[in-house]
Amino acid sequence: MANLSAAAGGRKPIVYNDEVVRKFTIAAIFWAVVAFTVGVYLASELSWPQLNFGLSFLNFGRLRPVHTSAAIFAFGGSALFATAFYIVQRTCHARLFGGRALAEFIFWGYQFFIVMAALSYVLGFSQGQEYAEPEWHLDLWLTVVWVAFAVVFIGTVMKREEPHIYVANWFYMAFILTIAVLHLGNNIAIPVSIFGAKSYSLFSGTQNALIQWWYGHNAVGFFLTAGFLGMMYYFIPKAAGRPVYSYRLSIVHFWSLIFMYIWAGPHHLHWTALPDWAQTLGMAFSIMLWMPSWGGMINGLMTLSGAWDKLRTDPGLRFSVTAVGFYGMSTFEGPVMSIRTVNALSHYTDWGIGHVHSGALGWVAFISFGAIYYLVPDLWHRSGLYSKKLAAWHYWTSTLGIVLYIASMWVAGIMEGLMWRAYDSQGFLQYSFLESVVAIHPFYVIRMLGGVMFLLGALIMVYNLIMTVRSPSTNPRSEPLSGAMPVAAE
Amino acid sequence: MQEYLSGWIVGIMVSAFGLIGLYVAAGARDLEMTIFGIALVAFAILFVIGLIRRHFDDVDASRATAKARAVKNG
Repeated sequence: MANLSAAAGGRKPIVYNDEVVRKFTIAAIFWAVVAFTVGVYLASELSWPQLNFGLSFLNFGRLRPVHTSAAIFAFGGSALFATAFYIVQRTCHARLFGGRALAEFIFWGYQFFIVMAALSYVLGFSQGQEYAEPEWHLDLWLTVVWVAFAVVFIGTVMKREEPHIYVANWFYMAFILTIAVLHLGNNIAIPVSIFGAKSYSLFSGTQNALIQWWYGHNAVGFFLTAGFLGMMYYFIPKAAGRPVYSYRLSIVHFWSLIFMYIWAGPHHLHWTALPDWAQTLGMAFSIMLWMPSWGGMINGLMTLSGAWDKLRTDPGLRFSVTAVGFYGMSTFEGPVMSIRTVNALSHYTDWGIGHVHSGALGWVAFISFGAIYYLVPDLWHRSGLYSKKLAAWHYWTSTLGIVLYIASMWVAGIMEGLMWRAYDSQGFLQYSFLESVVAIHPFYVIRMLGGVMFLLGALIMVYNLIMTVRSPSTNPRSEPLSGAMPVAAE
Repeated sequence: MQEYLSGWIVGIMVSAFGLIGLYVAAGARDLEMTIFGIALVAFAILFVIGLIRRHFDDVDASRATAKARAVKNG
């Protein structure tokens, strides 16, 4: 099956390569469930540590990168690949460059990377660098896949039949190119042997920390933000049936975000051996990031002008718009936490975990769900979603799950921060570390419950999407049922 | 033409990765590299089989289309 573009304006119709988009969409849904399940298990382990059963491969330290990699690279990454390939073909009026074989290689090569990386973590192999845990041989493999991705995407943009490059493609290109630079820069390592997995980073000490957080923060900025903003700039206007509120603002948003994000990494190293000027630089750029982030948020929300009523009838759009709200909240919270005096309280506490999850669940996952609810009926040529009601259940269950998650982590984090810095009249610490662990235990249980709700919502989505593809009620050739939801036509 | 060339280039590239996988698995010093090497070989074999299968599927499909067209035109 392949979507055929309209032969508007006397142009040749293009047969899009939607096979790879469908595969990445299925992968995104699958990995979402895996990531959330591992997350819930880890949250349970943190509440009741005996759940690791004394087995090394169930240890929190080994499973934690499985969760983060499954969420960011497997779920988020697959959603980004799917939407990038879907959007670039339609906005450039061109079939994917490089043929079907190269697109297939990107799909299977990326899934191979994810599985091998997860396996290496549970076996105990890791570079020990957050979000860059895979050892050198897997880094090299990912580089090959990523170069192929860049060739296909940029090649498609170059052979476009539209004179203009739509703003979503700018965001995707920034995501592809910057992640390539970050990945290569942070993973310069010398293997002990080409037949052994162990390697040592070229950098050491503070330099290593600075390079790591230049990478780590920009993984957030360019993987979890720029790519998903590309999604926002395509799917919200399509679902709302409205043009982007201000195209000029979207360009200002793009260039200011790209310029500022790359400098903000040092805010992860406040109160460390990193020179003060570098910490201040990171803090200043983080605060300046408020402007482009909120400019983008306003642009996304204002696109709904005149179409707000669609939020009542289109649950996919509701996910997308809520995601933009969470984007605004977490990009407000991030700069606040980057202020050195605030960071003195928040760093190393669960406030950071709450902040990350308001972005990961509220922004990344919700904008992906919105795109997936739009994509599945279109890619499988169905008249609409199987059940609007189930999508609404997914929305409310997940939203409540996020609220439980982030609120509990805020309370736990601030409590921890205050307990660690409290001292008595004689100058002794007022609380032992263990007392702070006992104090936050109830909030860990609440966080776990929030995770269960988010996972439950995802399972509802999986059922709804399977039925959307299989049910006769969504077959465009049969009579539509009352539960079927029309989506905007391509 | 692009599809044809793409199949060959990607097929040769993945075959080379399969050979690298064999080399790595043969000399592996730890479990991780053994698994990675063998998995890379398996990946390469399955991927190339997939390319070959798809090629013949396409040939069959174009034959069927040509046949249907000939029947339609009498």
